[in-house]
Amino acid sequence: MEKTAVIEFKDFSFQYKSQSKPTLHDINLTIYEGEKVLILGPSGSGKSTLSNCINGLIPFSEKGTIKGSLKVDGMETKEASIFKLSKKVGTVLQDSDAQFVGLSVGEDIAFALENENMPRSEMIPRVQEAADLVGMGEFLEHLPYALSGGQKQKVALAGVIHDDVKVLIFDEPLAALDPHMGMVAVDLIDRICRDQNRTALIIEHRLEDVLYRPVDRVILMAKGRIVADTKPDELLRSDLLKEHGIREPLYLTAMKYAGCRLEEQENLADLEHMELTAENKECLERFFQEEVMEYEPVPGEPVIEVDDVTFAYEDKPVLRDVNCTIRKGERIALIGKNGAGKTTLARLICGVNRPVSGQIRLRGQDYSVLSIKEIGEFIGYVMQNPNQMLVKDVIIAEVKMALELRGYSQEIVEERAKKALEMCDLYSMRNWPVSSVSYGQRKRITIASVLALEPDVIILDEPTAGQDYRHYVEIIEFINELNSRYGKTVILITHDMHLAIENTDRAVVFSDGELIADDRVFRVLSDDTVISRASLKQTSLYTLACMIGVSPEEFIAHFISCERRGKAGE
Amino acid sequence: MNNKFIINFQPGSTMLHKLTGTTKVRMFIIFTVYLIMSWDLRLILPVTVAGIIGIISMKPNWKPIKFMLAFVIILNLFNLFLFFIADPDIGTKFCNSRTVLADLPGYLYLSGETLWYLFTRFIKILSSFLISIIFILSITPSEFAAGLNSVKVPYKICTVVELAYRCIPDIVRDYQNISTSMQARGVEMDPKKVSAFKRLKQMVMIIVPLLLSSFDKVGNIANAMDLRGYGKKKKRSYYAEHEMTKADKVFRVVYIVIALICVAYIAYKMLAPGYLQLWYPFA
Repeated sequence: MEKTAVIEFKDFSFQYKSQSKPTLHDINLTIYEGEKVLILGPSGSGKSTLSNCINGLIPFSEKGTIKGSLKVDGMETKEASIFKLSKKVGTVLQDSDAQFVGLSVGEDIAFALENENMPRSEMIPRVQEAADLVGMGEFLEHLPYALSGGQKQKVALAGVIHDDVKVLIFDEPLAALDPHMGMVAVDLIDRICRDQNRTALIIEHRLEDVLYRPVDRVILMAKGRIVADTKPDELLRSDLLKEHGIREPLYLTAMKYAGCRLEEQENLADLEHMELTAENKECLERFFQEEVMEYEPVPGEPVIEVDDVTFAYEDKPVLRDVNCTIRKGERIALIGKNGAGKTTLARLICGVNRPVSGQIRLRGQDYSVLSIKEIGEFIGYVMQNPNQMLVKDVIIAEVKMALELRGYSQEIVEERAKKALEMCDLYSMRNWPVSSVSYGQRKRITIASVLALEPDVIILDEPTAGQDYRHYVEIIEFINELNSRYGKTVILITHDMHLAIENTDRAVVFSDGELIADDRVFRVLSDDTVISRASLKQTSLYTLACMIGVSPEEFIAHFISCERRGKAGE
Repeated sequence: MNNKFIINFQPGSTMLHKLTGTTKVRMFIIFTVYLIMSWDLRLILPVTVAGIIGIISMKPNWKPIKFMLAFVIILNLFNLFLFFIADPDIGTKFCNSRTVLADLPGYLYLSGETLWYLFTRFIKILSSFLISIIFILSITPSEFAAGLNSVKVPYKICTVVELAYRCIPDIVRDYQNISTSMQARGVEMDPKKVSAFKRLKQMVMIIVPLLLSSFDKVGNIANAMDLRGYGKKKKRSYYAEHEMTKADKVFRVVYIVIALICVAYIAYKMLAPGYLQLWYPFA
């Protein structure tokens, strides 16, 4: 059967009006009807620009120069209009909150139809149909504020799926979702595209999570060019991922550690259907038997003790009877769904909220007598979005702010600000305006401004959210250094299980306001009840362990030890 | 979320709630014109009574309404007092008559006309307040947008109004987050510990990042709207605007009649020679 091309790039390049160099170079790419394609690449590789060319935001909203040709369903985009293209291409943007323009689910799904000036009587059955398709049919009356990130995303999908939309573009669909929701989203995208024969383009850098359902092709982009256009299996066998700063799936890392021969392994990208070759199985078994130094964190003295703490917000309990102890020098992950209570615990620890009952002790001293300001010298809180923390114009002023507010003498302010800036590798940039630096650097500024107070404990809310692998590694290495070199206790609030496995010693898991697990990360991630209650998902290491018939818990522990050994050896 | 703001995001269940946005917006505009145009209590009082019945029929949450009502009454009594002090003659000018009831110290004196004028003014403002409260309580932002559109306000302006309401809770949440992090860094916000002026300065500090993070969102929202064909046609329809019910049709007759009364009254006012603004029954 002859395949029909829906998207055809021919010698296509694009340069933003404000940039001196093209963002996309010589793109030649054809995508056929019904294909499911993953577009992979680090930040700044041009993958979002590529998708914006397809949906018409380029050149209609964002101006620039186009060379070459791009046809969508036979239509040359620069001669079409964004409205014509929106009939063919549906786009689900990354920020599921900002794209929710309606005041209820039904209204948001209807938005495109409203713009068509369709009578309401025709709109209603269509909205219902689209909502049913994504499983939101029962929620039409709901307000955006009552929905989870995953639900908002489903609504966004329902809102663009009307009529004869042929191509669906998903811009980083997993960025704001917890692991379980991410799995559900990948499954939904797969089902809708296969059932209705729509073409799907998924832009993501979280390769492993997307591969939960098969994709037909992977396009790897770097610096505005396509560097690979291949089957997922081929890509995983190659070294391209490492070369271009894409994180490879965990099970693949494990297989590489074990010295498996990937060339002969079939279904490498589809773990569910992968059958290990006898040889590879043997490799993994041998790997598991290897002796490695079991890493056992040495517990320091307790710094924060949370004792039977309950917290309620407007008479609704959000945390119930929480007990946990945080010890000096620990790296802890707070894990759980949105609204499960992890942020609330962080706020309680910072003293912004106070427990309704129970007690928090700071080095044995009762918290209730301390003000937020006093606690702030001991515990630093770094928000997810640095733009919500930065208030000054110049970097050094930002770092000095907290010290000056406490009325320290000029010498101490200078000295401590210098130290904090040096720790964050920002000292040479200290007089730069805050607005001129990158997102990752802003993150560092917020951390420096908190470090200036010399706290013992730092709480970081989703420190790596929205970062590609290279920036992720940068931030994580920096945090690890704060821990290992300066002895800071680090508490990470995160959805990212990779992050938790590789970089924390202990996981504290919340579900519906209760602390349901407090243990070493590998134990938590091998416990089925915890996984389902906290909306986590089993890691691919778990699946791999089951394949070779060993205990997943021990296998993950073994893997972590190898990782640490590997890092120490570097 | 509904309890936190006086504006509802989901339609309520009483008869007034269930009207279409078009009816609500048109009724509000016409009643407001009606109340502004005259100083005749015979015309105003029926609206006051209707307003009281209307507000009771909506079974609202009385607590914030009582508070606002008290606020409006106190402010107005004070306002009327100032009116009186500034010009004790004010009522008599409207009536061409003067019935002195009592002499007061200085230039002040109390006349029946002034008293009646102030009373009329008070009832007028109270009635406008009732009508506004009913309007605010009954309408959702989406209906408001649809209703505005029905009175020929361009739909882009209607969308701005709607989006503003969409964003209020997000902004409140961001504000709380920023305030949290500021407090942890040492900005004291406890009203007991810092002066009002200093607190105000600190609020400004929060607003900077709040604005920046809101601007981030604007671009995204605009893209999301473009991608779904916003602005494609000259007209757009509204999902939140349901078909006219029987009640809507009844109210349509009501507001058309009142609109005609308004036109007739204003025409009369402008044409009749020696027309007296204030209706004064004791002349």
